Amino acid sequence: MNSAGQARRGWMASGEPWIWLNAAAVGVSISAVLGLLMLIGAQGLAHFWPAAVQEVNVAGRDAPLLGEWVDHETVPLHQFLEANPGVQGEGLGEFVERRLLKTGNRREAPPDFRWINAHDIVTQASPIDALVIERTEWGNVYGQLQWVRFDGETTTNEAFTVLKRGLERATTLRDEIAAIESGIIKTINSELERLRLERRRAALRGGASGASSSGLDAREAELTVRYAAAESRLRDRQQALRRDVFSVRLADGTTTEINFGDALRAWQPNTMGIGAKLAHYGQSLWIFLSDPPREANTEGGIFPAIFGTVMMVLLMSVLVTPFGVIAAVYLREYARQGAFVRLIRIAVNNLAGVPSIVYGVFGLGFFVYFVGGAIDELLFPEALPAPTFGTPGLLWASLTLALLTVPVVIVSTEEGLARIPRAIREGSLALGATKAETLFRVMLPMASPSILTGVILAIARAAGEVAPLMLVGVVKLAPTLPLDGDFPFLHLDRKFMHLGFHIYDVGFQSPNVEAARPLVYATALLLVLIIIVLNLTAIMLRNRLEARYKSLEG
Amino acid sequence: MKHAIGRLSPRRRGVNVVTTQVVRFGGAAVIAAIALIFFYLVWVVAPLFWPADVEPLAHHDRSGAAPVLVDIDDNSEIGLALSETGVVRFFDLETGAAITSEAISNTPILDAQRVFPGGNRYVVRTAAGLFFFDAAYAVSFPAGQRTVTPRVDWPFEREPLALTGTGSFDVHRTDSTVTIATLSAAEQLTLMSFTDAEPGYPLEFGRTYIHQLETAFDRVLFGARGQWLYLIADDGVIEVWDIRVPSAPQTAFRGRLVPEGHAMLALEPLVGRLSLLVADDEQRVTQWFMVRDEFGYRMVAARDFELDAAPLMLLAEARRKGFAVLDQDLTLELAHTTAHRITARAQLDTDGTPSVDVAALSPRADRLLLATGDTMWVYAIDNPHPDVSAAALWTKVWYEGYTEPVLSWQSSAADNAFEPKFSLTPLAFGTLKAAFYAMLFAMPVAIMGAIYTAYFMAPAMRRWVKPGIEVMAALPTVILGFLAGLWLAPLLEANLVGAMFTLATLPAAFMLFAWLWRFAPATIRRACDGWYGAIAVPVLAISIWLGFAAGPVLERLLFDGDAKAWMLAELELEFDQRNSLVVGIAMGLAVIPTIFSIAEEAIYGVPRHLINGSLALGATWWQTLVRVVLLTASPGIFSAVMIGMGRAVGETMIVLMATGNTAVMDLNIFQGMRTFSANIAVELPESEVGSTHYRVLFLAALVLFAITFVFNTVAELVRQRLRTRYGSL
Repeated sequence: MNSAGQARRGWMASGEPWIWLNAAAVGVSISAVLGLLMLIGAQGLAHFWPAAVQEVNVAGRDAPLLGEWVDHETVPLHQFLEANPGVQGEGLGEFVERRLLKTGNRREAPPDFRWINAHDIVTQASPIDALVIERTEWGNVYGQLQWVRFDGETTTNEAFTVLKRGLERATTLRDEIAAIESGIIKTINSELERLRLERRRAALRGGASGASSSGLDAREAELTVRYAAAESRLRDRQQALRRDVFSVRLADGTTTEINFGDALRAWQPNTMGIGAKLAHYGQSLWIFLSDPPREANTEGGIFPAIFGTVMMVLLMSVLVTPFGVIAAVYLREYARQGAFVRLIRIAVNNLAGVPSIVYGVFGLGFFVYFVGGAIDELLFPEALPAPTFGTPGLLWASLTLALLTVPVVIVSTEEGLARIPRAIREGSLALGATKAETLFRVMLPMASPSILTGVILAIARAAGEVAPLMLVGVVKLAPTLPLDGDFPFLHLDRKFMHLGFHIYDVGFQSPNVEAARPLVYATALLLVLIIIVLNLTAIMLRNRLEARYKSLEG
Repeated sequence: MKHAIGRLSPRRRGVNVVTTQVVRFGGAAVIAAIALIFFYLVWVVAPLFWPADVEPLAHHDRSGAAPVLVDIDDNSEIGLALSETGVVRFFDLETGAAITSEAISNTPILDAQRVFPGGNRYVVRTAAGLFFFDAAYAVSFPAGQRTVTPRVDWPFEREPLALTGTGSFDVHRTDSTVTIATLSAAEQLTLMSFTDAEPGYPLEFGRTYIHQLETAFDRVLFGARGQWLYLIADDGVIEVWDIRVPSAPQTAFRGRLVPEGHAMLALEPLVGRLSLLVADDEQRVTQWFMVRDEFGYRMVAARDFELDAAPLMLLAEARRKGFAVLDQDLTLELAHTTAHRITARAQLDTDGTPSVDVAALSPRADRLLLATGDTMWVYAIDNPHPDVSAAALWTKVWYEGYTEPVLSWQSSAADNAFEPKFSLTPLAFGTLKAAFYAMLFAMPVAIMGAIYTAYFMAPAMRRWVKPGIEVMAALPTVILGFLAGLWLAPLLEANLVGAMFTLATLPAAFMLFAWLWRFAPATIRRACDGWYGAIAVPVLAISIWLGFAAGPVLERLLFDGDAKAWMLAELELEFDQRNSLVVGIAMGLAVIPTIFSIAEEAIYGVPRHLINGSLALGATWWQTLVRVVLLTASPGIFSAVMIGMGRAVGETMIVLMATGNTAVMDLNIFQGMRTFSANIAVELPESEVGSTHYRVLFLAALVLFAITFVFNTVAELVRQRLRTRYGSL
């Protein structure tokens, strides 16, 4: 055997290549985490940037196209030729580049997204007066502003300034309309519904007494009058909103008139400086975070989903913290340590590994249909057959997730309690404190960081969980928030929206996935950020805790 | 101690007692709630396997002449009896109290039957011909009390339609036509078609077709969807005609429903009339239906039911593929064809009356009405879930119209005639397939990553990698699923060859890099010791880039430029965009952190003196790892794999979003699957509470619960043993 062979064998035997293979596995894991975060971050954040609007002349088209580049891909030539049978492949090279242009104008000139072959692009320019208008319906419009009719006066010069002013006025009016609709009108409606139910309850109890019935009638009459007044105010605003019009020339030469009532925002990205773009970016981001969705969730914001997630998670933590802590204290401090407690501990550990959908099934069967159905029959017979609590809703979702996350809190709290040195507990008892006093003054305060860690981990898990929620309470579009100004303010029976479900729904059930994709990425980014922040907090807390106990033990 | 407590102030003592009680109660309650999950699932599932129950409910004297037809309304409240003198009588099913009666014919009734398919329309034959009537049940709420008022309605003009034949007849009704088939003594079959009319107007006559038969038949029955016409002789000879072209029917099948020399005692079509139930003189009921295979149409006997006594009468359920057999000794047997299960055998007590004239099952199959002599007997049947059995859930079932028994999951029903297919096997297969591909990717990556992190990695790097992996564990699976479905799946489809090439050659690429690394300057090598994991990231990126770039070239060289077409032609492998490969990678990413953390803990926890001893004896680091560390940590690694497996089995969102969710049974990596969890998430919100479908979905959840519970318990026990062993070392 020659020396080179020996060396090679030695190299293999040293394990060096296998070590590298193991290192590669770590590399794969790290790249997967970083890659995912970067992908979501880039795609999610890029969406709000006001991209330059391009005027593209394409071979074989008379009129130019106006829009934003949003994507591109390279296709092997043979695949391209198969997809486009009529095209000659000569002189194209081995790969063909295709770009996706968002041309908007879904109502005027569909489709709103077009794949264009890079070699078909004849000229490309960015006209400085290119205008983008965001509408309440039908997506964006790309074109050039022609004239604006504001308060009966038509302007062609300085039209963009007038347009801005008109849009500001429209925004104010729209806010007022929203305030009336979600304020007084909604309140009156919910009052009327309460009256109807009250009447029915009286009827169920066996005949309404005359006095209370006439009282209800008077109340209803008063509400109807107030409703009429509010409605006339609303109509007034709505008419005012639709007063002004502007005209836009589209890339194909046709013009379209847009009512200010349909337009939300307008900008000319090709003239914007970096400051203006940043301001626009911030505004878009804010709208995304604070507005309700529009157009079957593919546009607008995700505020109700954020709100629903937060409400659900808060309610869940209110439920899970005391129960988790009590169970842990029981297991560690009060139960007799033995085979039974060991068994329970294994069961609790195992429950953390039971699929979340199983909890969803349990929640739907037990909480919603069994408990909810019983509550409806006992407390809300007047609303039947329409269910109040016998249908998926916020309370059941929170309860289900509380059950799902209670093992996390139990395990974490138990760990915290177990780490407290015996001497401290015994010292407290020796000084005459009762068991309860030792628990409240010594044990729980010392275990509080572990409890907190457990609760944070529970929250992080609950915030990202979707499968059980699909069964016990989320909906794609909730007409009302679970918390508002109408009695009883916190509506535990209402269905709610959720960030995770929003991602699933918009990404997979929406009619226009292409248009919705950036929003899904942005939503995913938000959810990931929330969960990472929560987890890192928990990890930091745990590390601090470990340091503290080390010093205690030392 | 006692003395000390005795001197406590009442307030302090009260707090102590209350705390103890609250903690005891609360702790027990939480643990009970956790146990409740299991028991509640069992409680919902259990009724699936309970036997049915038949109880006598009432009997009352029949008033009027002997009935030729009895029936029960949709809500099982009102009975209907048509007497041979032509009077329709509605009565309360429980009390027998008459509600209304109406004479509908002046001439005596020869026979009467329900019109196929379904509904409350009846066809009656008198000497004058055929006429139709409807039983209408109007519901009103006078004074808040629900009241049902039955009456007879006339769908068409009352004038009877003259019939040519006097033998057996049958009526088939579609949205716009009514077709009547009659057998005549002259061995002729007459098909008459009419156009459906408004109430009060005569049926508009269409065409009449007369076909000469070669042999005599005693019974004629329309079959499913107007395609088939069954002609049956009393000795069991059957001819099945394809009458889609009524002027020129084709004989699709000719055969015998009972063996030669045996008698056919009863015959009844199952709901939807795809199947015929035949009772013969060997105490047996056989289900027959038409199938189409490469030899054309034929009728097959799919399954037999052994009875306790000779059958007298067969009654098919109106909404399920179930039926009741009334035996000659008046035993009632309830059976279901799909489940191949007899759910009840009950001796009916009819006061010694030996025979039954007419009988009816209610549309909900919860009441049985018998007319014997002068008495009407009503029985309550509690038979909520005959359609499921252990065999039907897990083994192959021969469904109506299929050429052979299959495993299939198709739960949604378009109408009552649809046979629901509740086979859990394809779902179990899909679940395991998804978990298998996920583990195929996750296991090597996670375990090898754990080995490097625990054993070779520089502590400074480990401090960052561990929380990084924990963050990965916390990534919501909905995000992984969304990226898998909308980003990874199209990416892999576009770069199929490149991706497969990269996956296959990645280990080789790293070996190559390791070989090249030998030639790096020693100082650099020493400085990078423990940081290989970080160096691997750019190497990985370059390898993937190179692999993807090589894809199109390889595709042209090896697969004629189209790998998908090549696979379909050469290997008969179909390609779905959302397939097992995508699921494997995405779910693998979800499982990696779980396995990684537990395995890393196990390896890191191997007592230091074992390693030092091995090294001191002259073993290299690698030898020590393989022969000492991994061996010692292997139970921990095993438990990590079990827990990872448990997570992969139950994961919902990734599978839901990254596969097509079709319940195919195929190991092909380029096809999708339907798992238990995704199936539950899709179907449970739409299933009716308490229905068989609902309970079967709960059963799926229970199976999932049981599988993961077993996995986790085994893993936990192994881990606990490991801990004691480390402790003793």
